[in-house]
Amino acid sequence: MTRAETPLPDVATAPDTRPAWWRDPRTVGLAALVAVLLLIPLGRPLIGPYNYTLHVMLVTFMWIAIASSWNIIGGYAGYISLGHGVFFAVGGYVSGMLLVYYGISPFVTAPLAGAVASVAGLLVGLISLRTRGPAFIISTIALLLMVRLWFDNWDFIGASNGLSLPLPPLSREWLKVPFYYAMLLAAAGAVYLSYRIRHSKFGLGLRAIASDEVRAEVAGIDVRRYKIMAFAASAFFVAVVGAFWGYSLSYLRPTVFLTIAVAAEMVLMVIIGGRGTVAGPVVGAALLVALNEASVAWFGGTELNIVVVGGLMIIVLLFFPEGIVGTLRDRGRLPRTLDWG
Amino acid sequence: MTANVQLLILGLTLGGVYALMASGLTLVFGVMHIVNLAHAVFIFLGAYLTYFAFTEAGIDPFLSLLVTMPIMFGLGVLLYRLLFPRLEGSHRFVQATVLLTFSLALTIEGTLAFLFTGIFRTTTPSYATDAIIAGPYYVPAAQLYASLVSLLLLGLLGMFLSFTRTGYAIRATMQNRTAAQIVGVNVRRTSGIAFGVGLALAGASGALVSFLFTFFPSGHWQWIALLLSLIVLGGLGSLRGALVGAFALAVVSVFVADWFGSTWQPMTFFLALFLILLVRPQGLFGQPLEAR
Repeated sequence: MTRAETPLPDVATAPDTRPAWWRDPRTVGLAALVAVLLLIPLGRPLIGPYNYTLHVMLVTFMWIAIASSWNIIGGYAGYISLGHGVFFAVGGYVSGMLLVYYGISPFVTAPLAGAVASVAGLLVGLISLRTRGPAFIISTIALLLMVRLWFDNWDFIGASNGLSLPLPPLSREWLKVPFYYAMLLAAAGAVYLSYRIRHSKFGLGLRAIASDEVRAEVAGIDVRRYKIMAFAASAFFVAVVGAFWGYSLSYLRPTVFLTIAVAAEMVLMVIIGGRGTVAGPVVGAALLVALNEASVAWFGGTELNIVVVGGLMIIVLLFFPEGIVGTLRDRGRLPRTLDWG
Repeated sequence: MTANVQLLILGLTLGGVYALMASGLTLVFGVMHIVNLAHAVFIFLGAYLTYFAFTEAGIDPFLSLLVTMPIMFGLGVLLYRLLFPRLEGSHRFVQATVLLTFSLALTIEGTLAFLFTGIFRTTTPSYATDAIIAGPYYVPAAQLYASLVSLLLLGLLGMFLSFTRTGYAIRATMQNRTAAQIVGVNVRRTSGIAFGVGLALAGASGALVSFLFTFFPSGHWQWIALLLSLIVLGGLGSLRGALVGAFALAVVSVFVADWFGSTWQPMTFFLALFLILLVRPQGLFGQPLEAR
């Protein structure tokens, strides 16, 4: 049978009665992805424990939440913050202290920790965001080191020795599972927040600020309020995952949260993925976690790790300043599944 | 009273060194609007060079300045040529350069840690622990010499900027980059030289840091925050401001250390930074900060 004889399927005569969301491959793909991610931990009785896989995945979710949140101030508004480790620490310590002193699970108090961090972000933003450009970045470094010095010497929260936290009462095989779901939920929340902001008047204002703050102000945008709100919003989910992370480590110590390395990671993730895009931080976070795991496996996690992080960042900044998603989008090659605006 | 005068002496001898450390940072910002987050790690690089010159060849830190400074100048010019011209057209120049110097700092820090481990080091020339006694007061010899050398170098820098053609070009570029270009200044070459001079000053400060303080690869973040707070107080890009800021905060920090314990000494700089941003974001001698 030749090609010409093949009867063509009669597409036009059968009207597509599927609902709109079902026709869009993105929503279908997303639903499938969510289903798979929800089911992964339940496969445990079938194939035995796989804590390492769960661990790497929950770490990935954590960094997706952090990078997506950082992107709100660092990407949309264009204000580089090197001090977001502070909000990470606020989350870990607020929930950790509530656990130690009142026995309330961080799974319950994480949103509260997020709210505390947002308020802290609001207060810091009131001062730091009085300036434009370089002075803001400088103030965020100072903020990080200041809080580090304070936490290192505050006996109530264990000073530099830190605090031990009780683990949830679960067997070793099931221990990772609640953290997996918690981090997944936080990552979904952060990406959703980022998506909603990107497609709102608020997000439009932030992007106007990033491209030209003076013009944005002339156009009637309340620049200062927008920046402060963006800073506060970007603090929330960083603190939420900080709460889960401290709990899962079962100890809190300033060196876990308040280091420049933590700041470097989140900045690099967003830059590699694509500043100011919704999908960029997700791609960047997944890539960097994979890279870190590989580098630990191959080189044993030494100082060379930060050389790799720094070197990679230099290459991306010089040659692909828009990151993966941004570069693909500019060349018109971004797959629709990653085109979230 | 005696105790307070003593503290003032200690603060002032520290101030000279801080001023030298901050001068390169503020110069680079003034000329290129680059906040060089790697400045302190370059200081440490200078300190490591001095340390090995001292331990391996017995060269005195003050003498090794003569070698460290040209090496760092060359490195600066090279790094500038390699990294920065590419970003010049970028519409987010400030963010791009800050991120670039941030990555540079991480890379150098990691390399130092890999090569020399995280051990705390310090050079120990014979005068490192000497003190000069004057009546009821004492002046740590090393700190005094270091401060005098710093002021000498700053004086030379001032003369270089005021009386040489390259110095004119640098100052013209600081005042107005476009106008400088119009009157025939080779702005890119001038920027490269200024970056080199900034690093040479970092190298010189490193030589002094090597025997005044202990240093280890990741310790430079403390220093960059301290130095940035000095130049924010003085006004970003103002050399005079850096000098005033350095002496002012050095003195205050010595008193803070005396009152609250030396643990809290760094807090002086961080709090000062926030206070300045709250009261006068452009600093003492700076022009209002604009987004560039």
